[in-house]
Amino acid sequence: MFCDEVLDAIEAIAAGDLTPDGRVSDHLTSCPDCAAALGDARELERMLRARPVPRTSSQFTSRTMARVRRARWRSEQFLDMGFNFAIGMVILAVVAGVWMLMHRSGLTAISNDAVDLFSTAFVTLARRIAPSVPLYAGATALLVTALGIWWWAERDATL
Amino acid sequence: MEAINERELVERCRRGDEGAFQELVDRYKDLVFALIARTVQDRSRAEDLAQEVFLRIHRGLPYFRGEARLSTWIYRIVANVCLQDQTRPAAGREIVSLDDDGARGRVTVSTPDRRFDDLELRDRLEKAIARLPAHYRLLVAAHYLKGVQYEDLADAMQLPLGTVKTQLYRAKQQLRRLLETDLK
Repeated sequence: MFCDEVLDAIEAIAAGDLTPDGRVSDHLTSCPDCAAALGDARELERMLRARPVPRTSSQFTSRTMARVRRARWRSEQFLDMGFNFAIGMVILAVVAGVWMLMHRSGLTAISNDAVDLFSTAFVTLARRIAPSVPLYAGATALLVTALGIWWWAERDATL
Repeated sequence: MEAINERELVERCRRGDEGAFQELVDRYKDLVFALIARTVQDRSRAEDLAQEVFLRIHRGLPYFRGEARLSTWIYRIVANVCLQDQTRPAAGREIVSLDDDGARGRVTVSTPDRRFDDLELRDRLEKAIARLPAHYRLLVAAHYLKGVQYEDLADAMQLPLGTVKTQLYRAKQQLRRLLETDLK
């Protein structure tokens, strides 16, 4: 029996996966190199079994759960964005469809008249309101200030 | 009994029960972390990769059909994450040399300083393991963790049982050669 054949089986013998038969045992008794290799392999086996098992930090679970939540939130955001985009596209398609329908049926001429009517009404309304703009602006400022104070007071109360 | 609990746990996770997923993390974190830490040999990187494994588990649970054991499926994810990590550029990754701390003589394990020698030998062993190819490192890491059998490894790596054994023997043969002087 040659050393190469025995050396190929050394790791299996050291791990206990292979029981050396008579020829291999005889060779191991008579060959100091192969016997030394088996000794080394057994020592390596012992060291590998004795390797310390690394432990996680105490915050591992909470950190992992936070990362999972972040990832889930991101994927939900992505889904929401996709959904909103799809809705936007549908609305655009509907508007375009309605416009095309109106254009083909000649309703756009009527709608042009309607637009003219609305714009004339808007200009007339603006002319009438213009003198009172400072009054409305003052009232709006007062309202915004009051709402701001209320929000600030509520915010302080919840802290 | 444990298999039934495992199935229930997976079902609860699939229904979006966050408490169940936390239980799953608690149940497997030590195994996953130990496996990765032994493979990448960098604690903070190992923690990051272990979290990545649980993220993939969370994403993949809806598609887990339960044909393999949950632990086998988790080993498979760990293997993928570790092997993918090895293919990334090695920026900041420590390159370990057995001769980092200079040439040293033979370590004699039968002296009164055996504990110190053991520590030194263990350090040399870790450095030798770091020089193995990634898939050998993973096999060595997994096989010597309590409860991980050849069959589990074969399932996880999707390799025939004989190939797993052969690769493991080759890994140990390389280690034995790297540590030749220290083991005597």
